[in-house]
Amino acid sequence: MSAAPLVSLNGIGVSFGRTAALREVSLDLDEGVTGLFGPNASGKTTLLRVLAGLLRPTSGTVSVLGRPLSAKDEAQRGRIGYVGHSSGLYGRLSVVENLELFARLYGVRGRVPELLERLGLNGRATTPAVDLSAGFRRRAAVARALLHEPDLLLLDEPYANLDDEASELVSLAIMDWRAPGRCAVVATHGAKKVKRYADTGVILQHGRVIRRGTYEATGFTT
Amino acid sequence: MIASSGFLAKTAALAIKDLRVELRGRDTLPPMVAFAITVTLLLAFAAPDATRATEPSSIPVGTVAFTDVVAAFFWITVLFAGLIGFSRTFEVERDQGAIDSMLLVPVDRSGLFLSKAAANLLFVGIVQLFVLPLFALLFHLELAAGWLTLLLIVVLVDVGFVAVGTLFASVAAHTRSKELMLPILALPALVPLFLAAFELTSDLLGGDGLEAVASRGWFGILIAFDVIFAIASALAFEFVIDA
Repeated sequence: MSAAPLVSLNGIGVSFGRTAALREVSLDLDEGVTGLFGPNASGKTTLLRVLAGLLRPTSGTVSVLGRPLSAKDEAQRGRIGYVGHSSGLYGRLSVVENLELFARLYGVRGRVPELLERLGLNGRATTPAVDLSAGFRRRAAVARALLHEPDLLLLDEPYANLDDEASELVSLAIMDWRAPGRCAVVATHGAKKVKRYADTGVILQHGRVIRRGTYEATGFTT
Repeated sequence: MIASSGFLAKTAALAIKDLRVELRGRDTLPPMVAFAITVTLLLAFAAPDATRATEPSSIPVGTVAFTDVVAAFFWITVLFAGLIGFSRTFEVERDQGAIDSMLLVPVDRSGLFLSKAAANLLFVGIVQLFVLPLFALLFHLELAAGWLTLLLIVVLVDVGFVAVGTLFASVAAHTRSKELMLPILALPALVPLFLAAFELTSDLLGGDGLEAVASRGWFGILIAFDVIFAIASALAFEFVIDA
């Protein structure tokens, strides 16, 4: 474990008008994978968007990879991989065109064929993203997020619309990505799937952290 | 800001992406061109017969030269066709949440702005390639003699137009009624640019050469507008897109 946490949230609050999505969330995350659980509207997506720097919190401070989170920090942005509810792909471009575009923007070489293979996308490489099934689009989105081997990986429901075989490919890709000094937060309803590789778990409810600790301690042991 | 040589390569990759998406989807350019041609035809029907127009030199005091009217027609057609296209600038990013992926890539925000502006500049240029010959044909304009001056005017106007249009398109993209918001936001800022465009084009169509056209100071306004708004828009874009 590293001395300072890789991710540190201090008193984070997020409000949309009069609705509070996150309330006074304070959390330190070290290297490894953290499962983020909770019912619908508990604040999982909001928390991931705050960590990605895509949503400015109403209150509190965020530190990511040893520095205060800043949208202006290009180097910091380049170390974050994020998959939201949408695929984050360009629908008119094929899977391989999307991945090659992002590879160019991240300055990455030689990773595209490897990720196509790893996520079982070879048969769909030339299909426009808009024509992919929801499951294949999800896999392509995960491939895009892993392309630059980020140090902070944020995945929002990576198993949505995936069958068991595809879920296994995504799990294996995340396990392959794991390395010392890297941190992932995986928000999912599929606690069972995350169990294989998660180190810790956090449960959110009504925008508050109601339980956190080792994966077993959060209660998702089956 | 613009720190590395990779900046230009990444900006080019983003602009090529926008053009490739447009080539496949044809969502932006065809409506712009169709609008511009339709308006041009309507104006040609509505306008008096150009062959009976009075020579600018012999126009009685208190009346308007035909070239003034045609210059205004041309630029207003380009203005609204451009706004139609600009309003779609960020649609490609909103579709499937690509904007989230794009905001995380380690590229300066000004690169994203430049790529969008470059694509918009190309679209406006293509619209003008269709509209200008049509105007010349329908309004009996003699463009051959002053084509270089006209090209200079068009380029200078387009740069300022695209800089302002792209910036306000990013502002409007944050609103629910973006197609309505864009003209409301952009038109007041574009007034000096298009005033200069009307005046310069009118002078040129009236038979003035480059020297005479330039002597009235409108070129200076165009150049000042371009420099100020190109820089200000690229800088302001960062705050708008991260808002």
